[in-house]
Amino acid sequence: MSQITGGHLVAKYLKEIEGVEAVFTLSGAHIENILDGLNEFGIRSVDVRHEQAASMMAHAWSLYTGKPGVCLVTAGPGFTNALTGIANAFLDNAPLVVLCGRHPLRDDLKGALQEMNQIDMVKSVVKWSATCHDIKRIPEYLSIAFRQAVEGRPGPVFLELPPDILSIAVDLKSVDIPKRRTLKTSVTPVKEDLKAAAKLIDQAKRPLLIGGSGVGFSECGKQVAAFAEKTGIPFALLNNGRGALPDSHPRSINDGGFTAVMAALPQVDLVIIVGLRLNWVMESGQTFPDAKVVRIDIDPTEIDRNRTSDVGLAGDAGQILDLLTPMVASKDRSQWEKDLRAAYGAFLVTEREQRETPSYPIHPNRLVAQIQKVVGEDAYYVVDGGDTSYYGSAGFSSIHKAGVTAPASSLLGCIGTGVPFALAAKIAHPNKPVILLNGDGSFGFNGMEFDTAVRLNIPIVCVVNNDCAWGMIKHAQEMSIGPERCTCSELGTRHYEKMVEALGGYGEFVEKDEDIVPALKRAIESGKPACVNVMTDCTAVSPATVVFYQTLSDF
Amino acid sequence: MRFSLLLYALYAALRVASKTHKGFRHFIRKARVKILIKTAAGEPARLFIFDQGRISSLPGDHADYDAALVWKDAAAGFSVMTSRKKDAVFNAAARGDLKVLGMSVYAMWFQEAIDQLM
Repeated sequence: MSQITGGHLVAKYLKEIEGVEAVFTLSGAHIENILDGLNEFGIRSVDVRHEQAASMMAHAWSLYTGKPGVCLVTAGPGFTNALTGIANAFLDNAPLVVLCGRHPLRDDLKGALQEMNQIDMVKSVVKWSATCHDIKRIPEYLSIAFRQAVEGRPGPVFLELPPDILSIAVDLKSVDIPKRRTLKTSVTPVKEDLKAAAKLIDQAKRPLLIGGSGVGFSECGKQVAAFAEKTGIPFALLNNGRGALPDSHPRSINDGGFTAVMAALPQVDLVIIVGLRLNWVMESGQTFPDAKVVRIDIDPTEIDRNRTSDVGLAGDAGQILDLLTPMVASKDRSQWEKDLRAAYGAFLVTEREQRETPSYPIHPNRLVAQIQKVVGEDAYYVVDGGDTSYYGSAGFSSIHKAGVTAPASSLLGCIGTGVPFALAAKIAHPNKPVILLNGDGSFGFNGMEFDTAVRLNIPIVCVVNNDCAWGMIKHAQEMSIGPERCTCSELGTRHYEKMVEALGGYGEFVEKDEDIVPALKRAIESGKPACVNVMTDCTAVSPATVVFYQTLSDF
Repeated sequence: MRFSLLLYALYAALRVASKTHKGFRHFIRKARVKILIKTAAGEPARLFIFDQGRISSLPGDHADYDAALVWKDAAAGFSVMTSRKKDAVFNAAARGDLKVLGMSVYAMWFQEAIDQLM
């Protein structure tokens, strides 16, 4: 009779049924048996210094691998620490499976260590949550958790596993282990709606396709390419859809970033919105009041949110584009595309000059351009911070899916995501350079995870865009209450590179333009987790700050 | 000369609107923005200063702008700025008749402010 403990059963299921390669975790007594099981079944446990990083890394893992990320945290503070990352994944629609310790079932209402109602607390930021009460049902609960995370609109799920079922053993033959099932949503729009969409597309003179995270999760870069190439429609891929096709694709306007999209939208006569929510970042769809709208989204409730669509097509983005592309006419829209590029180019004169011109103090646009020059497009870039997210998103380009991510610019606006995302990127793609551009403020949240990087030998290179302040907040305060009344927004010069050195990594401090490239090269060549701390122009304000301020002051 | 007068007339219209036009007043009430409009040659030129609802203006070229709309020449500037077509500015940029220096997001804000008056 072969016996297995609950914790080992968790690991067995993760490995053998779901093919989980890595679990992001921080140890704790309540989950000890699962951790032991991870070792037993050969699953890599990536142990961090704060559970927030574990949930953020698991979230990032889903973007970099296309598979749900798994996060394992202990009860009580382990759980509450992970909450920010769970909420971030929820607003980002990222498939994340959170396995969490819990006080023992037998001690309910007795004042057990770390006894709290975790389920009620987490409910509003997950798709599904449950507590497993029976060791024999662990695989069944895990199976439900994984399916809930990935089916339809993806999102985080939460499963509590109390020690009463993790530490006891059961006969393995008495456990029913479900087979893995992978279903792709196959809701199909009615033919009339597809025809109506095709008609609008064929009639449009100035159309634009904007793809969001739904393109990324659908893995439908090929379908977007086929559609764009046949119709001649330029496109921008945003959020976690970015990189589904390389930024250098001939129809892509990602070289103009936010400015290109904002310049184009008021001019278009048709917007095809694929897997993208019309939230505040898109000004709730108000920037194109006269345009016709075709929306494709896996969630039917998104079709008319904030802006009524002329045609709504609910379902998986790739599957719908597969149906739609044969129905649209092949068109030459090169003049429109040429006009569009010239128009947004006229708005980017200064930004492009800043990238090309040495500056003192160093302008962040220049810093980004120098990094890109050294590292190139065959790399993964992560950007974190307020203004920093703008500079990095606009300036970096990559040939890879999720090759440029700015998790702080997602709906939660969650800064501090940079180090965890960069670590996950490097674990997922160990042979590619991973560069993190981090604001100095946001570096503080998870900077200690450089210990994780050193301990586990994950050689990311972090460049700190150091303006000695909470830049976006400081500049917004200058606009609102005046420069003389800025409050709680200064940070001062801090040697983050020395902190990384002290943890066993490599550090460089840079103040002059001509030192950026050599310092960066030395950091990469060190082969260690590295920090290049670059002092940049503290007066530089990004367009994102202006939009942020306008949005929050429009009362 | 016509372009120079147009810039002055725009300033006068903006000032009046800042006192009388409810929507426009609301739109500009919190902004501190300096917009320069000029030709590539540097003249005619005028700086429009928005300071939390107050509007002032200085003739001539200035370096301390947040965004500058630089027209290829006075004729192009006059023609587009007096056009009522929604896409006139976009088309001018596409043709190369206009470039924007500084923070383009402020140029877009200025365009939105002007749209309030239309």
